[in-house]
Amino acid sequence: MTTNTFIAGKGFLYRFDPRAKLLLLVLLCAFVFLPVSMPGLWLVVAVVFLTTWSSTGFKQALHPLRSILPLLIIMVVFIPLTHRDSEVVLSISGFPLVTTGALENFNLLAARFIGITYMCTLFFWTTPMGDIMLTLRWYGLSHKAALVLTLAFRFIPFIADAFQMIQDSHSMREPNLGEKDRRRQPLADVVPTVTSALVFALKSIPQLAMSLEHRGFGRAGARSAYRRLAPRKGLFTHFFFSVMIPASLWLVFNTLG
Amino acid sequence: MKDVLKLQKVSFSYREYNVPPVRKMVLENLNLTLVEGSKTLILAPPDSGKSTLSRLICGMVPKYLEGDLSGTCLMDGVEITSRQPWDLVESCVLVGQNPQEQLLMTTCEDELAFPLESLGMPAERMSRVVRNSLRKWKLLDFASISPQEMSGGERKRLLLAFLDTVPAPLWILDEPFDDLDSQWRETLMQRITDHNGTVLVLASRYIDEFRGSFDHYGILSEGAITIGDEQDIVIEYEQLCDREYTSVESCTEEHCGKALSCSNVSFLHPRKSVKDNAPFTLEVPSFTLRSEEIVSLVGPNGSGKSTFSRVLCGLDPPRAGEFLLDDQAVSRRDLSRTVGYLFQNPDYEIFLPSVREELAWSLSGDRSRTAAQKTALVAECAKLFHLELDATPSTMSYGKRKQLQAAVHYLLDRPFYILDELDSGITYATAFEMISLLRSRGAGILLITHDRSFSDRLSQRSYTISNGTVLEREGQV
Repeated sequence: MTTNTFIAGKGFLYRFDPRAKLLLLVLLCAFVFLPVSMPGLWLVVAVVFLTTWSSTGFKQALHPLRSILPLLIIMVVFIPLTHRDSEVVLSISGFPLVTTGALENFNLLAARFIGITYMCTLFFWTTPMGDIMLTLRWYGLSHKAALVLTLAFRFIPFIADAFQMIQDSHSMREPNLGEKDRRRQPLADVVPTVTSALVFALKSIPQLAMSLEHRGFGRAGARSAYRRLAPRKGLFTHFFFSVMIPASLWLVFNTLG
Repeated sequence: MKDVLKLQKVSFSYREYNVPPVRKMVLENLNLTLVEGSKTLILAPPDSGKSTLSRLICGMVPKYLEGDLSGTCLMDGVEITSRQPWDLVESCVLVGQNPQEQLLMTTCEDELAFPLESLGMPAERMSRVVRNSLRKWKLLDFASISPQEMSGGERKRLLLAFLDTVPAPLWILDEPFDDLDSQWRETLMQRITDHNGTVLVLASRYIDEFRGSFDHYGILSEGAITIGDEQDIVIEYEQLCDREYTSVESCTEEHCGKALSCSNVSFLHPRKSVKDNAPFTLEVPSFTLRSEEIVSLVGPNGSGKSTFSRVLCGLDPPRAGEFLLDDQAVSRRDLSRTVGYLFQNPDYEIFLPSVREELAWSLSGDRSRTAAQKTALVAECAKLFHLELDATPSTMSYGKRKQLQAAVHYLLDRPFYILDELDSGITYATAFEMISLLRSRGAGILLITHDRSFSDRLSQRSYTISNGTVLEREGQV
C-alpha cells in the first residue's frame, strides 16, 4: 500500500494551496457537466492536458489517456448505436449505423470523461498524499475518515501496480527461445492477470489492517499530527482563483445566454 | 527480573477451508519465557512458524489470520488475546520478515511518524525522533521518498528504524538480517546489544554472525521451542537443516555452451516522488554469464543489483548498449524468454490460489506436451521442491513461497537464471538444493546475495557494484 500518486515537478500547481486546489477540482468537475459550448469544453480539456504535460512531461501526461483508452473504445463502439432517430450519417442496408445525435453525444461524453480523468490525475500527481489527507481534515473529516479515503485513493493505483507486476511476471513465463510461440489470446491472457491482481489486492487488506493496528491505529487517546499545512499568506488569493477560474469559464462558454 | 513475555503450552493452527479439513499444527505446546532485558535468539528453519509466533505475540494472530489458539500468552502479566494490537504499541515493536507487508505510507518520514501520532507525541518532539531514526539508519536523504521506490535492503532499514522510533521495550525481530549487507548486519547486531530492553530474534541464517551475542539460544522445530546451551543449539540446528538437503549432481547439459553478454550498457532509474537532479544511473562496461557457471553479483543495499537484473532479463530497457546471446544481439522479449529472474520478493511472482495452479501456469504456453504429461511434470516438480500441490501459497511461509518461486522457474527451464537474494528466509541447505535443481540442465546462474560466505562457496566468478559501475572482481572466488 506504499503506492505513491505524487510526481515531483515544477509549476504553479505545485505551489497552489491543496485546500484551494481541491475546491478548484470540484468546481471544474462540476463545470464539465454544465451546458457549455463544445469548443469551450474541449478547450478546457486541452488546457488541462497541456498543464499536465508542462508539470510532468509529455510521456507521463499520456499515461491517463492510455489507461482510459479501452473505455473510450467501448464508447466509440456502442454510442453510435444510440440516437438512431436523428440524422443518419452512415448506414448499412438501411440500418442507421452512425447518426449526428450519436456523434454529438460521443463528443460530449468523451470530453467530459477525458477532462475529469485529467483533472483528478493532475490533482493527485501534484499534491503529496500527506497534504491531501490534511486537506480533507481541514474540510472537517475525522482522521479515520481521511485515512480511509486516502487509502482508497491509493488502492486503485495499487491494483494497477499489481497488475503491471503480474503482467511482468507472466511475460517471463513465455516459452523458451526456439520453442513454438504461444498463440496470443489477448482476452484470455488478461483474465488470469486481472484475477491475480484482484487476489493480490484482497490479500493486502488483512496485512494493511495488521500494520495499521500495530502502529496504534484505533487507540482511544487523542492523536497528534506530524505534518501541518503550511500557513500561507496568499490563501485567500488561492481560493479566489479557485472560484474565479471555473466561474469565468462558465461565463465565457455557457450556451444558455 | 520480571517476565516480559510468557507463553505456556501454546498451540495454534490456521483455519483450513479444504474439505475435509486438514488441521496442521503450526505451534504445538510451545513454551517460551523472556525475562526483562534478555536477548534471545531462536533458530528456526523455513515454514516452522516464526512469522506466526511473532504475529501472535503482537496480537495480530488469530485476529486477522484466523485459526485455533490454545494455551496462555502473557505480556507483562496480561493475556495478549484480551488486548487489542493498538494497545501493545508501547509494549512491543515487530520487524517482520517482508517489509512490503508492513509499510503503508507514501513517504519514509510519514511511515515512521504514524505510530508516534497514534501515541499523541507533540509535533516538535516527533519531528526530532523521526529525523534521528532516519539519520541512524542513513535514510535522511530518503525522508520524502516513497518506500516503493527504494531497494529491498533500504526498505528493511526503514522498518528497522522503527526500533529507534517507537519507545517499546520488547523487540520482536523476524529474520531481521535478511536483505541487509554486512555493514548493516553489524549495525543491527550492535543495536540489539545496546538495547536496554528485551529482544527476541527469530532467524534461520547468519548463525556465525550472532554467536556470543545473545543470552539465550533456542530452536523452533515441529511447533515447539527448545532452549539450551549455545553450542548444542547450533549443532542441533545444523543437523536439523542438513536433513533437508538433497544433493542433485546430474547435469544433462541441455543448455551448455551458451553465453549471455553485454558491453557498455547503461541505465537510468529516476525516482518520481522527488525532483532528482542526479537520478540513479548504473554503468556496465563488460559483463558475461556462461552456461553452467555460477557468477555472483555483490554490492551494498541500494547499489542497483535489482535494477541491473530487471534490465538483464528484459523487463526494463537499457539507456544505452545492447545484450548479446552467443554474440547475436537479442531483443528484450527474447531476453525474457532466455533469462529467468527470481525476484527478491517471491510475492511479486506468486498469485494463483494453489501450488498446483501456480506450477501449471508455467507450462501453459508449452504446446509440445500433452495435458497428462504436464500434470505429471507438475507433480514431479512439487516433489522435488518439497511442496504440497493443494497448499495455498498465501498461507505458506516466506521460505516455502521462495521454494515455490524456484519451482515455477524450474519448470520454465531457462538457459540462464538471476537469483535475487534467493537465500533470504531459507537455510543454506535449501538454497543449495534449489540452485542445484535450477542448474541441473546446465543453466548459468547469476547469484545476487549479501552473504559473502554463501556466494564464495558457490560462485566461480564475481562482479561487484561500486560507485554506480558493475565491475568484475579481481581473481577467482
